[in-house]
Amino acid sequence: MEQNNSLPPFPQGLASPPGAMTPGLPLFSPMMPYGTGLTPQPVQNTNSLSLLEEQQRQQQQQQQQATPQLYHSQVSTTTALPGNTPVYTTPLTPMTPITPATPASESSGIVPQLQNIVSTVNLGCKLDLKTIALRARNAEYNPKRFAAVIMRIREPRTTALIFSSGKMVCTGAKSEEQSRLAARKYARVVQKLGFPAKFLDFKIQNMVGSCDVKFPIRLEGLVLTHQQFSSYEPELFPGLIYRMIKPRIVLLIFVSGKVVLTGAKVRAEIYEAFENIYPILKGFRKTT
Amino acid sequence: MASTSRGDSLPKVQCPNHPDAILVEDYRAGDMICPECGLVVGDRVIDVGSEWRTFTNEKATKDPSRVGDTQNPLLNGGDLTTMISKGTGAASFDEFGNSKYQNRRTMSSSDRAMLNAFKEITTMADRINLPRNIIDRTNNLFKQVYEQKSLKGRSNDAIASACLYIACRQEGVPRTFKEICAVSRISKKEIGRCFKLILKALETSVDLITTGDFMSRFCSNLGLPKQVQMAATYIARKAVELDLVPGRSPISVAAAAIYMASQASAEKKTQKEIGDIAGVADVTIRQSYRLIYPRAADLFPPDFKFDTPVDKLPQL
Repeated sequence: MEQNNSLPPFPQGLASPPGAMTPGLPLFSPMMPYGTGLTPQPVQNTNSLSLLEEQQRQQQQQQQQATPQLYHSQVSTTTALPGNTPVYTTPLTPMTPITPATPASESSGIVPQLQNIVSTVNLGCKLDLKTIALRARNAEYNPKRFAAVIMRIREPRTTALIFSSGKMVCTGAKSEEQSRLAARKYARVVQKLGFPAKFLDFKIQNMVGSCDVKFPIRLEGLVLTHQQFSSYEPELFPGLIYRMIKPRIVLLIFVSGKVVLTGAKVRAEIYEAFENIYPILKGFRKTT
Repeated sequence: MASTSRGDSLPKVQCPNHPDAILVEDYRAGDMICPECGLVVGDRVIDVGSEWRTFTNEKATKDPSRVGDTQNPLLNGGDLTTMISKGTGAASFDEFGNSKYQNRRTMSSSDRAMLNAFKEITTMADRINLPRNIIDRTNNLFKQVYEQKSLKGRSNDAIASACLYIACRQEGVPRTFKEICAVSRISKKEIGRCFKLILKALETSVDLITTGDFMSRFCSNLGLPKQVQMAATYIARKAVELDLVPGRSPISVAAAAIYMASQASAEKKTQKEIGDIAGVADVTIRQSYRLIYPRAADLFPPDFKFDTPVDKLPQL
């Protein structure tokens, strides 16, 4: 299933555009997959393990997602929504708040891609790791090395660590929905093995994104001016480690212009962090 | 005898009639006398000078003119404890030959770890012949970190090694992490971690390392003449200016520059030898050398005397 990863960048506090017939849908919102009130959605944290429901929900949200839109550069269009809301286009009047960015700067036009999502979920019952390891496919368990079963599934390509307390860590997914779906699949596997597994407290713990600013960067200059946030030790690591405070994100910035962002709990933090760092990086572009 | 000015921590003794007058010490009688009116202000002041005067040159084990330990009181937090020394004479031993009064334990137990660390720092610094000023700076850094207690869980040796690294950096003579590893039992990873933690805890920062910081040490360890060292410094600086080696560690660039300079002179050194001294793998030197080789003609200083011309430099 094709996941739409290139969601539009994070707008800060957009009101609903004038002329909209339905309330509350910011057209540029990256949070759309989580239900915006447009069509009545089932409540998010269902603890039932119906995978069919999960996949149906995902497909609905896929159709709802707008085509990737850049800041104020294209005419906004909405996609066909399941249900009865008529399709409309918002005319780009001067009154329409298109971008909240400062007028002097423009947005980067680059969207960081998510590379990894780490999430945890509580299956709500004690597990016998030995039976899981023996009966499940693609499971490894080496109690002398690590006290959890390591299970892998192919679709979405993820790895899970399942502990005997019933808690599970799911890593490797490329989007929030994939992570949730994968966690449900693992829980399903455990359930089929005979344990009364539930799906409690699914939480995304960490999101990693990466992108390329397409120009080389003078790291020495950056560490001189942003000393309190940066750490650049070429002997220890070739990249500059920038610890941003406002969204609490750690960025690894490399000479080639590639940037890795990590430590986010929501997608918006990655986008916001990148929008914050981009003008700074432009100032330290290598001129040769 | 003129007296010195008093410290701020002590209560200021002054003449009630002349508060600005500097009191004169008469230590024959232990008095502080106001020079303006002659009033005796202090009385029976304890003399802290030495009791003996020694004129001999020989270093006797006992130096009776010392009235206290030589330790630096600033670092130890004012060590005023005393202890019973080993007895002399027959009376101090009991039947079995053991000495009575065995109380030689627990002096300044709270700072025992710190004293241990200072000893370790001195040992490490001695191995690479670091001067006293770096050792003092390291001790100060360690004291600050120790008192802050934010890195309490970390091994003291790791913190000491990291403090040594920071002190060398701050004094303008940085040592590579590998050089510090060579004199310490802690791994480079742990020293690096402690380094970052200490910088955060003390809220300081250090300057970025440059290729020139290591040239004199590496070249003299290799036995290269001054001309070659100067050429290598010039090559490395030029290479960084022309951005021929983006993203490479300055140590690797320095090693490659030394290789190029030594290969162009009479004193040719192999990549392995340079790698041993610099702590860089010889493949790393090869990689950096490949990056600077195409512009070799521009990188040499203009007044360099070539033993091997630029086009005959080895190409790997």
